[in-house]
Amino acid sequence: REKMSEIKPKDKGSSEESAAEQDWAAAKAAFENLKSNKPRPVSPKPKNAVTIAVSSRTLFNMKAERKIFEEEGLEKYVAFQQEHENEPLKPGPAFPFVKALMNVNTRLRELYPDNEELFDIVLMTNNHAQVGVRLINSINHYDLTIERFCMTGGKSPIGYLKAYLTNLYLSKSADKVIEAIDEGIAAATMFTPDTELELSGTQLRVAFDGDAVLFSDESEIIVKQHGLDSFFEHEKQFENKPLAQGPLKCFLEALGKLQRKFYAKNERLNCPIRTFLVTARSAASSGARVLKTLRSWGLEIDEALFLAGAPKGPLLQKIRPHIFFDDQMFHIEGATELGTISAHVPYGIGQKYHKGKLIEQPEKKE
Amino acid sequence: MVSTDQKTDVKEKEADCPVVVAVTSHAVFESGAEDPDGLYVGGIAFPLLQALQKVNERLLKENPAESLLFDVILITTESQQQQESSRITESIRHHGLKVSRFCFSNEEDFMENLLNNNVHLFLTTNRNEALQGSQKGVLSVLLDEHTASCPTEQLRVLFCGDAVVQSEAGPALASKQAAQSFSAQIGKMRGRFGPFDSPISIALVTSRGGRESCGDALRTLRSLGVNADEAYCLAGVPRGPIKRLLRPHFLLSECFSSN
Repeated sequence: REKMSEIKPKDKGSSEESAAEQDWAAAKAAFENLKSNKPRPVSPKPKNAVTIAVSSRTLFNMKAERKIFEEEGLEKYVAFQQEHENEPLKPGPAFPFVKALMNVNTRLRELYPDNEELFDIVLMTNNHAQVGVRLINSINHYDLTIERFCMTGGKSPIGYLKAYLTNLYLSKSADKVIEAIDEGIAAATMFTPDTELELSGTQLRVAFDGDAVLFSDESEIIVKQHGLDSFFEHEKQFENKPLAQGPLKCFLEALGKLQRKFYAKNERLNCPIRTFLVTARSAASSGARVLKTLRSWGLEIDEALFLAGAPKGPLLQKIRPHIFFDDQMFHIEGATELGTISAHVPYGIGQKYHKGKLIEQPEKKE
Repeated sequence: MVSTDQKTDVKEKEADCPVVVAVTSHAVFESGAEDPDGLYVGGIAFPLLQALQKVNERLLKENPAESLLFDVILITTESQQQQESSRITESIRHHGLKVSRFCFSNEEDFMENLLNNNVHLFLTTNRNEALQGSQKGVLSVLLDEHTASCPTEQLRVLFCGDAVVQSEAGPALASKQAAQSFSAQIGKMRGRFGPFDSPISIALVTSRGGRESCGDALRTLRSLGVNADEAYCLAGVPRGPIKRLLRPHFLLSECFSSN
């Protein structure tokens, strides 16, 4: 998992770097020369930004359109989208998250006017470019700061995710998410709850499961293969040995980097980013190892909630995150049922136990 | 100036709407190289010609009476090649390429050749030739080593929606009209196929501007009858990696230039 150990991959050779510098400088010049009533901020260089790639179906609600695609085929789908090009799409599950990211950017720009350490939101879609016009119109309608996109016309987005130095990829397609994770890119499959909870407009709130999301699945393997007692013993014995990192560790790290920019300006109490750990571990027994691991990584998490096996849904309903990451579909379903926008991280041993199975016994780690 | 009509296995293409593509022998063959049979070895433009051929095959498959096809002419200014004209034609035949005409000319006359043959697209590996072509109002594209590694099964055309990513022939001196009419022909050809499994794929890239500039470029292409399959708005992201993923056979930017 070497790729996951860095937030941004190191730059390649110097000639490519200087070409990249030229590209970026030209873009900046173009933006600054635009005569526009509403000056748009220049997009940050990918290497400086925290890049979040969202698919079209996570950004917008395309359920009706998807149905046409599945039942009537691609040509009818593209034709439909073109016919309705000037009708903005409704928001999708990643929409509140994107708005919250934009708010953080606004606050960052107030404190650090020329700084590039910002969120950069990229639309990464398999759609044909002709559908793209409706997507652009919809982005315009909601005035979202999304200035970069890839419409791959059916090709895999993976290469493009890498080219944009993506820190997090959100999609409705489990296949693409799995491919991204296999390539070392933090990714998750989004689910839309049936009910909408009211979410904060001033603070980005992100909730993470622990094992197999922030951390590797090494401990979960012990639970599954050797049972809970072995798990407790093991965690106690290795309390001071940091867990290996999981697929979303670098994303938490990126959030932490931005949080510290607020702390540096005395804005800790008013920080527009708040992170939560929501784990089935218990504080009394297996929780210590988790906190010590985070500390060894130099990462902070604002609130650590140890559920000792209790369902996550009700607690998440209180927390109201813009997004909640978990590796187990059981928890995703529980969260979604109670209104939390959830994102499944298809990583680790948890996947082998959920394929094709309808009902899961709750994992009791205590 | 000598012009040789070569009726090989190629169907006689009707005069009204084929897309005439002229390519120099420098681009088609590796200079100075020879295979064991003494024939020329395929060069940079090889995959491109194969892709053009693939398009023709598929067009004819859809409609055996299709007349909107690529009509490839080979231009050579090398006197040695002209003297060994049978070697050129043999090499062409050996590699399975279909060329409808061979034009031998000297360096001063070859521009005239392009104009007389009503060339819509001129492909060369020589920067000067490309510049000359552009100055005469012929859409000229400078091929480079990237073209050599492009796919042969699908023709990939990349439109550059803002003038930063220009075709390497230099400033866009080719008349906008030539570019636009060629693009319209490509758009029409693309329209003969469905969304999947098309032998032509059209992509649009904007490097500098934000989403509005890409949206505008998409609409401009539409107005020319070109429906892009893929669109990428870079807004300053380095284009090297993106171009490597797209693997276009050639780039067109003149449709959007302001002159």
